[in-house]
Amino acid sequence: MATGLSAIFMANRPALLRFVRARGAGDDAEDLMQDMWMKLEAKDLGPVSDPLPYLYRMANNLMLDRYRSSSRRERREQDWAEGAGGVMSDPSEDIAIDERMILNQKLDQARAVLRDLGPRVELVFRRFRIEGVGQRVIAEELGVSLTTVEKDLQKAYRAMLSLKQKMDTE
Amino acid sequence: MIDEEALGWVIRTRDPEFTDWDGFTLWLEADPAHGATYDALMAADSDLDSIVPVEPVAMPVAANDPGVRARRPLRWIAGGAVAAALVATVSIAMFNRSDIYSVTTRPGEIRIIALDDGTKVEMNGGTTMRFDRKDARFAALDAGEAAFTVRHDVANPFRVTVGDAIFEDAGTVFNIVHTAAATRIGVSEGKVIYNPQAEAIALPAGRALSDDAQGLRVMDVAPATVASWRQGQLVYANAPVTQVAEDAARSLGLSVRFTPQAQAMRFTGTIRLDRDPARFFAEAAPLMGLSAVRQGDGWLLKEGNGSPN
Repeated sequence: MATGLSAIFMANRPALLRFVRARGAGDDAEDLMQDMWMKLEAKDLGPVSDPLPYLYRMANNLMLDRYRSSSRRERREQDWAEGAGGVMSDPSEDIAIDERMILNQKLDQARAVLRDLGPRVELVFRRFRIEGVGQRVIAEELGVSLTTVEKDLQKAYRAMLSLKQKMDTE
Repeated sequence: MIDEEALGWVIRTRDPEFTDWDGFTLWLEADPAHGATYDALMAADSDLDSIVPVEPVAMPVAANDPGVRARRPLRWIAGGAVAAALVATVSIAMFNRSDIYSVTTRPGEIRIIALDDGTKVEMNGGTTMRFDRKDARFAALDAGEAAFTVRHDVANPFRVTVGDAIFEDAGTVFNIVHTAAATRIGVSEGKVIYNPQAEAIALPAGRALSDDAQGLRVMDVAPATVASWRQGQLVYANAPVTQVAEDAARSLGLSVRFTPQAQAMRFTGTIRLDRDPARFFAEAAPLMGLSAVRQGDGWLLKEGNGSPN
């Protein structure tokens, strides 16, 4: 049974295909479309208020998953080559005390970076990145322009991404 | 070096309201390298999860009042102090009146107070409140937790006094917790105004406010989970386990202590309130990644899943 969402999917299939190709799906683009179709058919997603952006987001997420799993595989193969792990460790396992201390240190560093950006930038970043609130809503809440929120986010992201890069190379 | 254009698209596409997928497609098509840069930045963005501290946000108070904005230390100095002073005089006046009466529930006991204008207050265990026989639009939560279902009257709003703060309804179902260390409110329907005479923060359904040692914060909350204790459930998103324990203590009438390591932990999820403390902890402690040991007439929660040692 075609739900409303799969009908909209079919109607916009060419545009979505063009999107995943532009996203770098290459030869897998058609397969990806098939995946999406199966997913849409498999579960009743209920009414979606804005179906087309929803479908694009779904396609974008599939591409992100694809990127993540391929980079994870590369890393794993590399670890294997370096003899780093005989038994694959489960990342969800309880972390050791010393690792927790390192993590706490990192959190403190991140906190300090966020604080140095100033209260508004910190607030904007947290609302957006942690609580998933849209930029328009944040702008309204704070009584500032959308451009201000955009600039704040750029600034916060740049600082946080640089910090993460620095941590990873340490 | 972070690619500015790609970062712009990362931010835009992460926005829940983003719709310009055509524009995004065009940017991607302009250069095959764009897609790869975007992927790498999105991956870096999701890696941030491990270092971004998740504490809720200190909400800048009233955007049109630059003096108090986002400055935690100053939060009570501006409007708040005035409001506190006002409330203090008002409550002294009220204490002297004989129509104010106090209701206290024992831990584990739930009481429903129907105020005669169609407004209902459900008091959780271990809670003390004051009401006014002459004024059904007044309630004071002195300690504990209560859920409010309020008939809205624009001309005569319902007000709850909590410590030195006031919550004023704007047509509403909401829940307030007041302990020595914190005040928390969650709104499940309608809207509540926090300190209408001072900060005047509007809390629509799905918003929560908390005031504790870390300052005044506003956050999102699932409306259906507000006052879920009435259905025998406690629902949390990234809450300190100490808060979970306080809530359980109120509903079940028991005392809970933590080891220092255990009390720093946080919990996300749903806990069923079992009336039998042993069964409750057998179920709840592992969910919090803790283990529970009975100690005298209370319970000690410590780190680790189970294995007694």
